[in-house]
Amino acid sequence: MRLSRQPFTIGLIVLLGAAATMPLWASRYWMLLCLTFCLYLSLAQMWNLLAGYCGMISLGQQSFIGLGGYTPAVLSVYYGLPLWMGVLCGGVTALVFALLTAVPLFRMRGVYFAVGTWLTAEVLAVAFSNWSFVRYGMGIVITPAYQLSLTEMYYAGLVMGIGSTALVFLILRTDLGLTLMAVRDDEAAAQTVGVDVFRSKLYGFLIAAFVTGLTAGLIYLHQVFIQPYKAFGIDWTVRLLFIVIIGGIGTIEGPIVGAVIYIVLRQVFSEYLDVSLLLMGAVAIAVMTVAPKGIVGSLQERFGFEILSSRRT
Amino acid sequence: MTDLIQPIVNGILLGGLYAAVAIGLSLMFGIVRLINLAHGDLMITASYLSLVMVEQVGLSPLTAAVMVVPMLFPAGFGLQKYVLNRALRRGPEPPIIVALGISIVLQNVLLLIFSPDARSIPANVAVLAVPVTENLSLPVIYLMGFGVGCTAIAAVHVLVRRTRLGRAIRAASEDDETARLMGIDTEYVHCCAMGIAVTTAAVAGVLVGMTFTFYPHSGPQYLLIAFGVIVIGGVGSMTGALAGGIVLGLAQLVGAHVFGPGHQLLCGYLVLLAVLAVRPHGILGRANS
Repeated sequence: MRLSRQPFTIGLIVLLGAAATMPLWASRYWMLLCLTFCLYLSLAQMWNLLAGYCGMISLGQQSFIGLGGYTPAVLSVYYGLPLWMGVLCGGVTALVFALLTAVPLFRMRGVYFAVGTWLTAEVLAVAFSNWSFVRYGMGIVITPAYQLSLTEMYYAGLVMGIGSTALVFLILRTDLGLTLMAVRDDEAAAQTVGVDVFRSKLYGFLIAAFVTGLTAGLIYLHQVFIQPYKAFGIDWTVRLLFIVIIGGIGTIEGPIVGAVIYIVLRQVFSEYLDVSLLLMGAVAIAVMTVAPKGIVGSLQERFGFEILSSRRT
Repeated sequence: MTDLIQPIVNGILLGGLYAAVAIGLSLMFGIVRLINLAHGDLMITASYLSLVMVEQVGLSPLTAAVMVVPMLFPAGFGLQKYVLNRALRRGPEPPIIVALGISIVLQNVLLLIFSPDARSIPANVAVLAVPVTENLSLPVIYLMGFGVGCTAIAAVHVLVRRTRLGRAIRAASEDDETARLMGIDTEYVHCCAMGIAVTTAAVAGVLVGMTFTFYPHSGPQYLLIAFGVIVIGGVGSMTGALAGGIVLGLAQLVGAHVFGPGHQLLCGYLVLLAVLAVRPHGILGRANS
């Protein structure tokens, strides 16, 4: 049963219009929720790009998050650089770091890659907490970020959320997307038909690092305070993993649905942080053992429709 | 130079404990090619269980260990049977995520019950040391860790090499499909192996609990150490685990001695990353895994 695309297109336009005009009609609370949603969506899309489309289960997104957060913090607080410039530099720092670590990390496969990326982030966490320049474990208060208004932050977040989704959508329509999925499904076969495995994985990794770094810059400008063990903590990747798994790994809509569920759970359990994490772990286990394709993947299988197609089969 | 002897000796002794932390993980990885990301948290759970036995029930640490360690065999068995085996049937990615899920659940359950405070199992042996020379003394707890670590390795080695179950475990790890054709219930074998793995983790957990302070979030730190031991020592190799443990123990304690205590973890991680970068499947690992 193939559903007509038209209602979805209209719905999408209405939603985008509502989101773009939100500062005019919505309360601070809803704007904050929408901002958080967009930032997590962007991070989740990038983890999904790696895990769902490139077959690289990274447990080290927090490397890019920490670097993307620390760069604008250091540049704006110590050197007085404009905040948005700092955020851009954060993305570039994450990109450079990805470039440097890609060669050793890509030699690892599967679970070695997963733990290797995680280990890299742990090294950064320990290194930053021993580094006097970034004030050890005490962290940095990004005082210049106080001057940012919520509306500015909101639009920046919105651009990241929509931009990252559009980016993944576009990548999957290029040769890069096709080669990435080929590598994910069978690396040896892809290599045999002439795919440059290393290069396509590298591009995927670099894109994910850059966008994750940019998004993290916004997150920390919003939070105003950055600390090594939080910024480089595995909790980041755990949340992204939850969002993508629940929604549906290897689908573009999956992270959107997952991020909505994450935000709702976060609000419901906001007073019991431990319980919310506990619940996330339990739900991730349940989804993986019962319906490993997640909500969107299972729905697609059942009804055979796709809103933003080019999914993983 | 003489003051380096103490960290070197301690590092070697610590290596025995690290090997005990890692053998369960190594055993499972050899069989199902799965790094059980909850291994460290299962270990820390054992530390907390023995803490309860010591503080609430009033047992001695040794009796507590004897009580706690067998309790974890069925826990590991059940975990494999009802959760991990199901995920393993779904392909290579779901088990990684499920194991991470178990890790998060355990950490937060421990956090809810025990609060984030640092704890340690009160034990008299923790402060004793055997003086050898003027500059060198052997902490009893480190000696115990080394001794128990070696014993655990020997026990698992005998079990895998000499018993029927061990032969089934080796068969399942060699070629799952052929093992099933030969009439081995490989999923049952996985459950038994997981039970053994968690039991060894429990032994390590009690020792770690007596040697160091621990928190609900300590699990991942030990998981990374155990992973490092396997990477350096080779998957499924029991003697390799001891070698890997000693390399990491030395890297940490000598590193801490040279660069200051804040760099202990960093030095261990850097050695591990260097090994991974050069030999992505471990020094003695199989290239096809």
